[in-house]
Amino acid sequence: MHEFSICEGLLDAVLSEMKRVRPPARRLLKTRVVVGAMRQIVPDSLIFAYQSLTKGTAAEGSSLDIVPAPVSAKCRQCGWQGKGGHPSFQCGQCKSYDLDIEGGTELYLESLEVEQDE
Amino acid sequence: MSSRKIKVYRDLMGENAKWAAQTRDLIKEKDITMINIIGSPGCGKTTLLESLGSGAGSAMRFAVLEGDVETTRDAERLAALNVSVSQLLTGGACHLEAKLVHHALKDLSLDKLDFVFVENVGNLVCPAEFDIGETAKVAVLSVTEGEDKPLKYPLLFREAGSALVTKTDLLPHLDFDIESCIGFMRRVNADISIIKISATSGEGIDEWIKWLLQLRN
Repeated sequence: MHEFSICEGLLDAVLSEMKRVRPPARRLLKTRVVVGAMRQIVPDSLIFAYQSLTKGTAAEGSSLDIVPAPVSAKCRQCGWQGKGGHPSFQCGQCKSYDLDIEGGTELYLESLEVEQDE
Repeated sequence: MSSRKIKVYRDLMGENAKWAAQTRDLIKEKDITMINIIGSPGCGKTTLLESLGSGAGSAMRFAVLEGDVETTRDAERLAALNVSVSQLLTGGACHLEAKLVHHALKDLSLDKLDFVFVENVGNLVCPAEFDIGETAKVAVLSVTEGEDKPLKYPLLFREAGSALVTKTDLLPHLDFDIESCIGFMRRVNADISIIKISATSGEGIDEWIKWLLQLRN
């Protein structure tokens, strides 16, 4: 949820990074964000918010690429490490629920793809 | 023309995180334990705080930041028990954010307090996403809700240090399978402390206070 307010933060970050690009970019082609599976974010809503908020800015016309990060965990019983679809998933080896969740809550701007003069 | 990829790695909750960090510094400096209480509307959050205000919490010096969309009704309930309370009105937002909480904290007499309880807006979804700089989150789930809520709202139960299963005095009238509910909570978070609690019967209140006090050791 709160895709619009998250996108406002995203847009601030994108525009401030674009100002720092040397040599200056002609235009922004793509923004890539990583969103963990446990974050309660709907990708289509995030894309819609991005398209709405980038209008009239230096990021207008760019696309938003959302890279999902799965929930990853380590079993505290047997040491197994792996990925799963739900945070209460079981150890793939011993079926325990006693897991240290290591990944799945990421929410960050990973990279920008810009167009530059040769 | 060519394209070029620029690596950034910037946290998208950075603005909220900055305020949450300022709150963490403030509560550390003032030796305050701040608890973020999160649960559905009507699960018993305010009633639990009334229990603390009515005597059970007499050993704790505490204040409450009361979060709601509208009205000051919850703050009034607590003020009637002489609890030091500030009402935070979001006017529409479904959760509290770190900036609002930080400003409200600074208005409290922090030197005279050990605990600040933040009663978040009634909601199992959004408050779990927004770090407000708390020492610990407490998830509140009543026996009049479904046993499987911990599986349906995993982020909250994952983030919480303790879960309170409230209104246990009603169990004789319900088909609620409390042990299944506790099992689901443990699946999502093997470390969570789970307390069966009833403001009506008093069950679990002392246990919860003990859990709160041990956070300060």
